[in-house]
Amino acid sequence: MWDFIVERREALLYNTFQHANLVVQAVLVATVIAVLLAVLITRVPRLEGPANAISAIGLTIPSFALVSLLLTFFSFGSLPAFIAVAFYAVLPVLRNAVVGLQGVDATLLESARGMGMSEVTTLVRVRLPLAWPVILAGVRVSMQMSMGVAAIAAYVGGPGLGTYILKGLTQIGGANAINYALVGTIGVVVVALLADLVLLLVGRATISKGIRV
Amino acid sequence: MADTRTAARDPHAGIVMEAEPETGAKQGRRIDRETVLMLTVPPALVLIAFAAFVVWRQSAEFNETELRQLAWTEIRSLLWQHVKLTVTSSVLVVLIAVPLGIALTRSGLRKFSPFVVGFANIGQGAPSIGLIVLLAIWLGYGFWTSVLALTLYGLLPVLRNTIVGLDGVDPTLVEAGRGLGMSAGLVLLRVELPLALSVIMAGVRTSLVLVVGTATLATFINGGGLGAIIQTGISLFLPKLIVAGALLVALLALFVEWLGRVLEFLARPKGV
Repeated sequence: MWDFIVERREALLYNTFQHANLVVQAVLVATVIAVLLAVLITRVPRLEGPANAISAIGLTIPSFALVSLLLTFFSFGSLPAFIAVAFYAVLPVLRNAVVGLQGVDATLLESARGMGMSEVTTLVRVRLPLAWPVILAGVRVSMQMSMGVAAIAAYVGGPGLGTYILKGLTQIGGANAINYALVGTIGVVVVALLADLVLLLVGRATISKGIRV
Repeated sequence: MADTRTAARDPHAGIVMEAEPETGAKQGRRIDRETVLMLTVPPALVLIAFAAFVVWRQSAEFNETELRQLAWTEIRSLLWQHVKLTVTSSVLVVLIAVPLGIALTRSGLRKFSPFVVGFANIGQGAPSIGLIVLLAIWLGYGFWTSVLALTLYGLLPVLRNTIVGLDGVDPTLVEAGRGLGMSAGLVLLRVELPLALSVIMAGVRTSLVLVVGTATLATFINGGGLGAIIQTGISLFLPKLIVAGALLVALLALFVEWLGRVLEFLARPKGV
């Protein structure tokens, strides 16, 4: 096992980076989309029920089904993988962002208005900072989930550690099958733990001092 | 307890979401409207989409491979395999996770519960496909290896919700039960479990959705199921098969999610 890792350390590092890269990019894009949608939903409360229903339904769709469905629209490669990961990543963030934005105390919004803040300033200076811890919790869920989706996306040519797992699958019976599958699986767990740690630190750095616990 | 239930509703969640600041009244109304939507829309959607699939299946032109893979007898047998995988694994999940959760909330073992849940959390971070492949290398291909992988994968939500649900029971109620002369076992059976049931059922639904979705991957290790249609479609690049397989799997998952919701709804104790 150790020899296996040492022999392939460069390819291994590259694939680990690719995995993290795919997930981080997709989650970033998803977070922006989700927060924008959440702002829209809090302005038009009637959208909230349908939005929650859609996100619950979306999370029900098996990732293998979505990934392969995307394959029929796009060719093998990173694109269907990216879209699939980003799609699932939007849902938990959206849900938390809606809850977080609605949870902002109405009296605070009123004082912001009273201080002469416009609606946009209120959003940027008051509502988003106050909702941020809840949004970030959603991002952590998204990140963890996306690690697994990205692994499955390797089946349609996505980059990353999933390729090792699939190599292990196709080489079953061969000497290195278990090494490939183990390296891929444990690699994803490690990357997921590291990413979660980074997000915790991001939380430390970005959650407004006034509401830090 | 509202926040734990919201966290559990997310089928892929590996981490318990943080508490959601919201006033009780608002939360109640929101969940109610959503409950109504989620109890009515998905089954309608499933029916309509399945009807569309039937029409498409009967009218579109297929080549020989596609016809073989999409024959109704073949679809029925794959569907049955998928259901068997899901039901067997889910029953095992409940049989293992609920007693384990109960044990971990009793005073003697309570101190281990953070470790067990923490370990399970990290385990949930492992990709399902990796778990399936590793178990197949270790135990060989087949139905039971798939069931083992699915069971392991589905354990966490039920375990976590059992612990959270039982912990959420007001201790004064337990005390009152004991004061009435109930034994600890009787209090568990008559007071704690009924009060925790809806939270536990939310975990069961989450786990059901995870299991039915992951069962799609069982085809990689000859475990059967609807994933076979997608796999054939991808390896021979027949888009019609891919679409048909993905659609059928998604519809089954939606239907199972809906069943879970109905179960959860029915499990709500009347007094609460």
